[in-house]
Amino acid sequence: MTELILLGVLTATYLMVIAKRMPALIRSFCYQSFFLFLVTLLSGFMEKQADLYIIALLILVSKVIIIPYALGLIAKKINIDDNLGLFVNAQLSLITALILTYCSWVFAKTLGFGQGYQLLAITVALSVIFIGAFLMISRMKALTQVVGLLVMENGIFLFASFVSNGMPFFVEIAIFLDVFVSVIIMGLFVYKINKLFTHIDVNKLSRLKG
Amino acid sequence: MNIVLIFLQLIFFLLAAPFLSGLISKIKNNLRMRKGQSILQPYYNIKKLFLKGEVVSETASWIFRVCPFIVASSMLAAAMLVPVFIFQSPAHQAGDFLALIFIFSLGRFFLALSALDTGSSFGGMGSSREMFISALAEPAFCLVVFSVSLQSGSTDISSFSGMHALTVSSVFGAITLFLVAIAETSRVPVDNQETHLELTMVHEAMALEYSGRSLALIELASYLKQMILFFLIAQIIFPIGLPVFGNLAGLFFWSLWYLARMIIIAIAVALVEVSVAKMRLFRVADFLGFAFILGIIALVCAVLGV
Repeated sequence: MTELILLGVLTATYLMVIAKRMPALIRSFCYQSFFLFLVTLLSGFMEKQADLYIIALLILVSKVIIIPYALGLIAKKINIDDNLGLFVNAQLSLITALILTYCSWVFAKTLGFGQGYQLLAITVALSVIFIGAFLMISRMKALTQVVGLLVMENGIFLFASFVSNGMPFFVEIAIFLDVFVSVIIMGLFVYKINKLFTHIDVNKLSRLKG
Repeated sequence: MNIVLIFLQLIFFLLAAPFLSGLISKIKNNLRMRKGQSILQPYYNIKKLFLKGEVVSETASWIFRVCPFIVASSMLAAAMLVPVFIFQSPAHQAGDFLALIFIFSLGRFFLALSALDTGSSFGGMGSSREMFISALAEPAFCLVVFSVSLQSGSTDISSFSGMHALTVSSVFGAITLFLVAIAETSRVPVDNQETHLELTMVHEAMALEYSGRSLALIELASYLKQMILFFLIAQIIFPIGLPVFGNLAGLFFWSLWYLARMIIIAIAVALVEVSVAKMRLFRVADFLGFAFILGIIALVCAVLGV
């Protein structure tokens, strides 16, 4: 069952890679976070730890509901076309994502995560991190960088929870607050950039106004 | 006894295939707050078309006349490759899962050829698009075949139908096959069966020149293809083993059980069709590329044994 949910996380990440529009990207992020919520809930159920339930609830509230809503609001407010502006087209992105997954599988093996379930979990976590980084560097719009960072954060959460049975409870809570605040701040930045330059294309930002 | 059961399987396919199409269109219309046509409308359509005369273009060659028979008989042959009421598929010596894919391609090839035959510009457009879509859909289909056969140890369809446990690999295989089935049965994100809008139609453009009996055969073939694909998805995602029954009542219940599983798939297809907008043609490459990636995940899971 957990394998299925982990692969669901991976599938949602691939969905983000082929998304060409902002709403689709945000929706896929929502799916990914929902699968993350299911993973945490299931591991809380299996290890019978109460704080995992709280973390799962926090994921559900912040990453599945509030952050996608806030991102959608920002995207709506900026009010430019929601094409992401792909440096690498969708097909090539998908192939790159696949190669990144393979690399993370090899990497997980060299890290010494034996067989079966844990290998799969580490592979999925690492590839989510890599694909998040890939999303950040291969999309033009500044809002995608925010989403890419959130994807990487999801990957790090997965990685931590499978390498060391999760971070300490208070660290986890602090990270949630951090992520939440950073989304708001970066959203504000993107909004300001859009106001100043009337676009949020990252590759045009080097031509600064005097 | 086996001969009788094989005939029953053929009758089951022929009788139930139009029903699934009618059901999907009924669900779609009801979800859009419309009354919609009757579930039995596909049967009426086929009956009407069989009774009508046929108009054939003067420039058409023999390929145009012979194509509906090839298309319909290839789908019937494909229907004989899946096991429904007996342990082995009726034509199991003749071919396996891979043969099914190539028999599908045979029908598609002749349909595309006949669309080119009359020289109508719509036909050429439709067949080139169909070839584009199928070239992308077939690799994903093949990956599903490989992942399923790795699990069951044979490419014979009956051996994977005999599986009882649901694995991660079969879940992903079924999702892949679902996406492929949407593309192959010309459903909404890829094509639209309801419209004859010249810029978007794919399958309808190929069948545009046909009328009367030939059109009835082609429509029947597309219903059969849809039912075979739904049947395969149902076998992968709801593994119930091979049929066991003693008498006629048992047989009746088995066919109801098969039909119930396919109705679940049909409902899923209808929901997808209602909730998704039709894609641009070049976006289909991304859609089927995604299906291909899911197929690779299924294959890797099958190799890892999860």
